[in-house]
Amino acid sequence: MEMNRPVTSETNHGNLKRWGQYALLLVLTVIVLGPFLLGLWTSVMPTAEISKGALWSTHISLDNYITAITTTPILRYLLNSLVISTVTMLFQVLLCSMSAYAFVFLKFRYRKQLFMVFLITMMLPFEAEVIPNFSTVRNMGLLNHYAAMIIPFLTAAFGTFMLRQTFMQMPVELKEAADIEGLSHWQFYSQLAVPYAKISLMTLAAYSFLSSWNQYLWPMLTTFSDNFRPVQDGLRQLQGQESFNNWGMIQASAAIVVIPTLIILFIGQHYFKAGLNEGAVK
Amino acid sequence: MKIRYQRWWLGLALLLIVLPLGACARTQAASRTQIVFWHEMTGPGQDQLKQFAKEFNASQDKYQVVPQYEGSYNEAVQKILHTHGTSASPAVFQSMDVSTSQLYHAHVATPMQKFIDKDNFDVNQISPVARAFYSQGGKQISMPFNTSQPVLYYNASVLKRLGIKAPPVDPSYSDITRVAKAISTKSHGKIKGLTVEEYGWLFEQFMANSDEHLANHEDGRTGIPTKVHLNTPGTQEAMKWVKSNIKSGDFIDYGAGGQAESNEIAAFLAGKLGIFIQSSAYISQLLAGTKDQLGITYYPHRNGKPANGVAIGGASLWIGNDKPKDVQQGAWKFVQFVMSAKAQAQWQAATGYLALNKDSQAQPILQKLYQKYPAAQVPSQQLARIKANTANSGVFMEGVIQERNLTQTAMAQIYNGTPIDKALAIAEKGLNDAVANTNRANHYK
Amino acid sequence: MLESLPKHTNPEEPSKELVPVGLNSATEWRKDRLYVALFLGPSLLILSVFVFWPMLKTMYLSLFLTDNFGHASVFVGFSNYLNLFKNPAYLSSLGATFVYVIAVSILTIILGMVLAVVAQQHLKGIRFFRTLFSSTMGISVSVAAIFWLFAFNPSVGVFAQISQALHLPEINWLADPHFALLAIIMTTVWMNLGFTFLILFGALQQLPSSLFEAAEIAGVSKTAQFFKISLPLISPTLFFVLIVTLIEAFKSFGLIDLMTVGGPNNATNLLVYRVYQDAFLNGNYGLASTESVILTAIIAAITLIQFKLLGKRVSY
Repeated sequence: MEMNRPVTSETNHGNLKRWGQYALLLVLTVIVLGPFLLGLWTSVMPTAEISKGALWSTHISLDNYITAITTTPILRYLLNSLVISTVTMLFQVLLCSMSAYAFVFLKFRYRKQLFMVFLITMMLPFEAEVIPNFSTVRNMGLLNHYAAMIIPFLTAAFGTFMLRQTFMQMPVELKEAADIEGLSHWQFYSQLAVPYAKISLMTLAAYSFLSSWNQYLWPMLTTFSDNFRPVQDGLRQLQGQESFNNWGMIQASAAIVVIPTLIILFIGQHYFKAGLNEGAVK
Repeated sequence: MKIRYQRWWLGLALLLIVLPLGACARTQAASRTQIVFWHEMTGPGQDQLKQFAKEFNASQDKYQVVPQYEGSYNEAVQKILHTHGTSASPAVFQSMDVSTSQLYHAHVATPMQKFIDKDNFDVNQISPVARAFYSQGGKQISMPFNTSQPVLYYNASVLKRLGIKAPPVDPSYSDITRVAKAISTKSHGKIKGLTVEEYGWLFEQFMANSDEHLANHEDGRTGIPTKVHLNTPGTQEAMKWVKSNIKSGDFIDYGAGGQAESNEIAAFLAGKLGIFIQSSAYISQLLAGTKDQLGITYYPHRNGKPANGVAIGGASLWIGNDKPKDVQQGAWKFVQFVMSAKAQAQWQAATGYLALNKDSQAQPILQKLYQKYPAAQVPSQQLARIKANTANSGVFMEGVIQERNLTQTAMAQIYNGTPIDKALAIAEKGLNDAVANTNRANHYK
Repeated sequence: MLESLPKHTNPEEPSKELVPVGLNSATEWRKDRLYVALFLGPSLLILSVFVFWPMLKTMYLSLFLTDNFGHASVFVGFSNYLNLFKNPAYLSSLGATFVYVIAVSILTIILGMVLAVVAQQHLKGIRFFRTLFSSTMGISVSVAAIFWLFAFNPSVGVFAQISQALHLPEINWLADPHFALLAIIMTTVWMNLGFTFLILFGALQQLPSSLFEAAEIAGVSKTAQFFKISLPLISPTLFFVLIVTLIEAFKSFGLIDLMTVGGPNNATNLLVYRVYQDAFLNGNYGLASTESVILTAIIAAITLIQFKLLGKRVSY
């Protein structure tokens, strides 16, 4: 992935230029990371000093983290989010790949029209449908339960669309050979189509996990106790119930939430980048 | 390859089954009857409620009260209405003063009077002013629980340091302007003189204190309101007062909502703000948060006119009618528990909400508090001198949350330069439209 | 095994040709129908219940006044719509939303592009910087709000401290109607940066280096190379980023809820927040449904434009 562009010959001028480039990189890094670093820094400072406006303290400690973990349900929120996002992700990968398969390899009447119907759902924002959806999950008896935050998102038109593109690139000969060998659709799907679309499936998995993890409005409307509240709304809860700001503890909670995602992101960055670009350029 | 993928499916299936189950298992408590208690208390109030639940749970072995914070007062009302009849609904819930009419008409609660009668509970020990607020037709709808008075706070130490005479205990708008200006000038702008949060509740209090009705039919006490007034001489004068302070540069605007409250309190505690108007519920927090001496006065009133008195604010406790009998009974037991003289005294000491049980004042915890901080008595003194009338007993009307949003917006507009008349007229029209729609949609006429 | 698969040569080939022969017999058809039900059924069911039905219901509710329980009670035709477009508060929400959406999209793309170009440089340790640049992707809405709330705090925030130190007029970012929306825009752009950077960077990387070698030999300046070669070539990606950013911006809710609750003076009362406020705070479900329908119309229009352009690249 490294650049192949020729670099101008090494001179003093080049050296100077390089330092300039590093300086620019550093400035940009500070801009990008500034708010994050600031948050991280205040999370190790005593709240009393933060509220006096101090930006520097000699009393650096992990006390705020200990307070957050022992006195707030922050870990429970994380667990809830993990459960919701994982289940949503697994189902989306399964159901999207199945419907995408149907649109590519199964022949049925109104296939094109049905696909259009799928595409239309991408035009309807969930945020504009929360009122009837609230009634629906209420009538299903799912309020204040993981299911309310999972079931509406078991499938996604976007995922179906993306995987359909991938399946369409599968060589014709493969399907022909499979038919001759007498593979059923299920066998072809699970043994050939799914492995073929591995990268796309991973991208979809990452995408659906993150979007589920970042859900805010819907869980806020459908959860009423810490037993089910996911982490985004948990932070809202922690932030809201401090009537005068315990800044240190709040920042520590935010850091506790963000650090795992950052680690996952850095580890999975390679896959993610490849997948995103594939999706974007197509 | 085949085997590998089969394993993958197996893993998936297992995950799906195990994860939700594991999570549910934890929420199941032992054999006690669960009493889910929804509240909207933050900070020390929340801590004290948790403490109450703990003490109540330890005092008997039949019920388990589980307090759950449900966000702001405004958020809670719709949550209560929309979970009613589902497994997610609470057994006992706290709902704010101005939602009383709406919850009453929605028939989501068992009237408190029913429990009172059944157990011959002595209601006379509870403050009659507070009881009246949550009654209809002589029957108790809900139990007044946290009752506060809006008061004016000032940093007495700062005033002393700067050589400024403290405001009188029953100040007029210009009394406050004088002090705010002096703070700002003498501290060379380092300390801001005054803030008044953009908050509908405070707006309602300006009206109450000026002896003005917000809604017709005497604020809804004699019939369902059909018309509202927000643009009145009283509100005009209050807004002009704020504007004059903005103009002279001694006012700081923290905006609206929970953030605004946190920020103004943080600034006050850090000695960067001299005066602010807020609920008495913050007293204990303010006393604990600073070494500076805390000054408290009554709610400011119009120049040259006596104060009519402000309405009690706060919230009451309701028992949902969609739960089985034993759950309701447990909820009632908990309500009785938190209304005891001892609990109410603890409540006032921990927060600043007024103890509603008459016998609470004799409790050592309050006696000690008053000795140490005489100012802590100001809210109850303010309440005691009020002669109750329909203008200072709160608005009994549906859709008050809209009123709060509209007046809050009007305040924000005024603070930022919109002419007072215009801003108030917009809010008034908006609210009249909303009231007409509400009445029409619910077939009230 | 995967590696040995012959790569399909032309992805644009219509899918029809991929459908295997031998589907003619009646039994095959019936079998397929079973598979259609199995493969498509679950997704179709979910989408019907949670996407199509609620949209119809929302449209229906938008024609009614609703009672305390949110049930349609009085049919009012289009008067909810008319009232909204006469309501200055709603119009200002609409205006604020457009300002927000456009500002966020433009700033996100420009800043993302700056980062992407800078990250192209051939320097030691550049990979580390690339990772840092993409890091805001892992920051969710609540976390971002908490970090920035602190930065904007009027007493102890960094911005307040900087302006105090420099004797500049103090700005009360979140309480001043002139600045609150700007504060939300800054926060949103910051949150978007990581994702936008990754995509633009990837697109720049995929450009053939031979083009730039030739340009270098021809003496074309770096700036001209960027505007004349890179920018046109990655324009499809730019467009993709633009649409995604636009749509996401229209759906913004969390930052508003956490940072300004729609205030001050409705300056940050964007469309989704207004829906929430009217429905779940004010209990005015009919009006909120009307606002939902308008929001849907806007987002649907943008998505249609996207489909049109995608349609040129994608076969149906």
